[in-house]
Amino acid sequence: MNRDDLKSIHPKIPSLVEQHEKGALPRREFLRTTTLLGLSSAAAYALSGEILGDGLVEPSFAQEGTYGGTLRIQMNVMEIADPGVFDWSEKGNVGRQIVEPLAQVGTDNVTRPYLAESWEANDDLTVWTFKLRQGVKWNNGDDFIADDVIATFERWLDPATGSSNQGRFSALTVLEGETRTAAPGALEKIDDHTIRFNLTRPMLQFPESLGDYPALITHRSLGETLANGGSFMTDPIGTGPYTLETLNVGEFAAAVKRPAEEYWGEEVYLDRIEWIDLGQDPQAHFAALASGQVDLLYTLDVNLVEQAAGTPGLAVVEKLTAVTGVARMRVSEPPFDNKLVRQAIQACIDRPVVLELAYSNNGTPGEDHHVSPIHPEYTELPLPPVDYEKAKSLLAEAGYPDGLDIKIQCISDPKWESDQALVMAEMLKPAGINLEVEILPGGTYWDRWTTWPFSVTQWTSRPLGVQVLSLAYRSGVDWNETNYNNPEFDAILDQAEATVDIEERRALVLELQKMLQDDAIIIVPFWQKIFTAGSEKVQNYAYHIAREQHLNQVYLTA
Amino acid sequence: MIIFIARRIFFMAVTMFVVSLLVFLLLEVNGEAVAIRVLGPYTSEEQRQLWLEANGYLRPAYVRFGEWLINVLQGDFGESIRFKAPVGDILWDRLKNTAILGGLVFAIMVPMGVVLGVLAGMAEGSPRDRVITLFSVITTSVPEFASAVFLSVIFVFTLKWLPGTSSMVGGFDWAQIVLPVAVLVLYAFGYVARMMRASMAEVMQSAYIRTAMLKGLPYRRVILGHALRNALIAPFTVIILQINWLLSGVIVVESFFAYKGFGALLLEGALNQDVYLVQAAALVSVFVAVMTQVISDVGYAYLNPRIRFT
Repeated sequence: MNRDDLKSIHPKIPSLVEQHEKGALPRREFLRTTTLLGLSSAAAYALSGEILGDGLVEPSFAQEGTYGGTLRIQMNVMEIADPGVFDWSEKGNVGRQIVEPLAQVGTDNVTRPYLAESWEANDDLTVWTFKLRQGVKWNNGDDFIADDVIATFERWLDPATGSSNQGRFSALTVLEGETRTAAPGALEKIDDHTIRFNLTRPMLQFPESLGDYPALITHRSLGETLANGGSFMTDPIGTGPYTLETLNVGEFAAAVKRPAEEYWGEEVYLDRIEWIDLGQDPQAHFAALASGQVDLLYTLDVNLVEQAAGTPGLAVVEKLTAVTGVARMRVSEPPFDNKLVRQAIQACIDRPVVLELAYSNNGTPGEDHHVSPIHPEYTELPLPPVDYEKAKSLLAEAGYPDGLDIKIQCISDPKWESDQALVMAEMLKPAGINLEVEILPGGTYWDRWTTWPFSVTQWTSRPLGVQVLSLAYRSGVDWNETNYNNPEFDAILDQAEATVDIEERRALVLELQKMLQDDAIIIVPFWQKIFTAGSEKVQNYAYHIAREQHLNQVYLTA
Repeated sequence: MIIFIARRIFFMAVTMFVVSLLVFLLLEVNGEAVAIRVLGPYTSEEQRQLWLEANGYLRPAYVRFGEWLINVLQGDFGESIRFKAPVGDILWDRLKNTAILGGLVFAIMVPMGVVLGVLAGMAEGSPRDRVITLFSVITTSVPEFASAVFLSVIFVFTLKWLPGTSSMVGGFDWAQIVLPVAVLVLYAFGYVARMMRASMAEVMQSAYIRTAMLKGLPYRRVILGHALRNALIAPFTVIILQINWLLSGVIVVESFFAYKGFGALLLEGALNQDVYLVQAAALVSVFVAVMTQVISDVGYAYLNPRIRFT
């Protein structure tokens, strides 16, 4: 492919190639950005291989697997009445086998077209044109067309739906008074297999957001089905390689393979996938795996890694992620509205020690901003040392010379989150800060998760640093749990989201990192590795940073 | 006898009414909280108000309580938030599973406890008594969560004889029920055995046993015909109360072995603040508690000839 061809796909690609040649752009970032801009992933891999001369090919799962068999997975089985409002990745894992996204973020962290065949963006990344895959059939016999995508997006953007995709695609919305609705003309159907998205501001990670777990494309009739009292569970129309056979919440779900000729993609290996709900006790999950009752775990508790690795017949899989327990302070609630208080709290936290005590050192220390070392935009920042004298003087200056009584809420399961809070409470004591740790069950915590004054929230991993910044720290968005409101931050974030050049973007994100650090709104003690385990019979299963189960290439050996 | 039972049932009904009122007040008087649970945390204040109005939550509490009580009496507990299905549908199934587990536990625990207790109590202070006492004290003082781990390590991980969890996904499986039953029996039989032993030992020293012995009755007939029935009176209450304990006490075991029973359901409902489910589960627990009380009173009266019905 010559440079002019590349330019016709997107004008910025040739300069990316140049940077890659000079070594300024790491391979993964090159693959990510060029595929985001519309280059097919095979071409991107080939191009990178050409440049680096190491003959890289797309991770190939082409070796012949064995067809047939049932994969039994331990996972909590939840209702999946409406894929548009999925709020647990467990829901996405069942849903994903039946309905599919336009783009998929692979287990190698690279985004590839999926139900979309290709996409193009204009120069300033405000207009994205998607070509949809042709010949895709819903399992009710309908053709997959642009109307399905438009109907899905309309439901996401409708404030009445309550979908997290509204925030994810906020560039397609406008704020009218207090309510956010779809921007006029945002969704434009060109023909049955072409859609143009007209954004109100540039958005780099549009395709990657399409790969996030709640962004599964449903049939155009879902809205009507729900309005008539039905649900995706009673009417599981999908384009995926499996159909939903059974789903009993809290117990069991099963998906069965569609006839191979009906599915648009390569034939999948497994005949049947079962999800078995074994409650919340990690020890029970492991016992089920060790005694052969299930083949694969949704996740393996960090405390069980050693035991699993030592059990014959089991394989442990790990992945460094941007998963973290953010101890976030709500800047609109006293005493956290006082920056000096927040800084005093930060000055007491010894992050590597928190990592060691709460998560057995299975990760990397954080720097109190929300960009992880796995993100391409990350720049390492120095951390202020633990300084109790400084903490005490900051507290005194803030008007608390005799110390401070505060409370932190956290979730009971997984346990490391409350351990993290308990370790922090110990670290705050020498500065005269008395932190009461309130450990709540999941339901109670998540009911009010955005409004607690001080709490530990687990944030899952996303491929780009700007994504989570946009979801959690932009003024006024749904998941802004700190109530952080910084117009300057928003402006630079908009700019970063519009910048393809990785060096330029990294410079912008560095400013955002510093702002978050300087404003002292969050404590990010560490980034963690996640683990899971499966039987050695399970082949080709790679762990995904967001625990997504990509099972199309998975097969079982006897 | 009939008056005795009728009076018991009347008190039972009064207790149930009071409890249902408490349950209702605790969980449902705050309609706003219910709305958040049903509609989810991302809803707006406006949506919640609309829901509250549509579902009659803005009416006075006593009207709602009356309506709720009538529904409950008809078996309609409302819809579970977690399971998206009527609470009744889920509850009976889970109760049935716990009844299977509890039934098996009883079928093993009661004969085992009684026999060991009798054997020990017959000859107080003998080596046999010492061994039985030691064994039952040890098993009873190890909590379920510890013995569950212990038995799992032996039978699941080391010997690989038994499956690690008991979700019964493919239908009822005897191999899966072994460990939960074993853990519960180990924990509970000791109480019965200890009670039985004490009661038996006391009876054995009474005058009428001595008389029976002295007039030359065979030892076997003394034990079975004279001592046993009298010795059973006190342990009977303990045994019946175990039904109560089983219903809520199985939470740990059901959760550890992922057994889909009532205890696991109660835990899941509580963790997810599934208001209607918790209400129903609380009512069922109380019903069983009161019911076992009635059974134990009636049974006590039957066993103890000194109590006669008035």
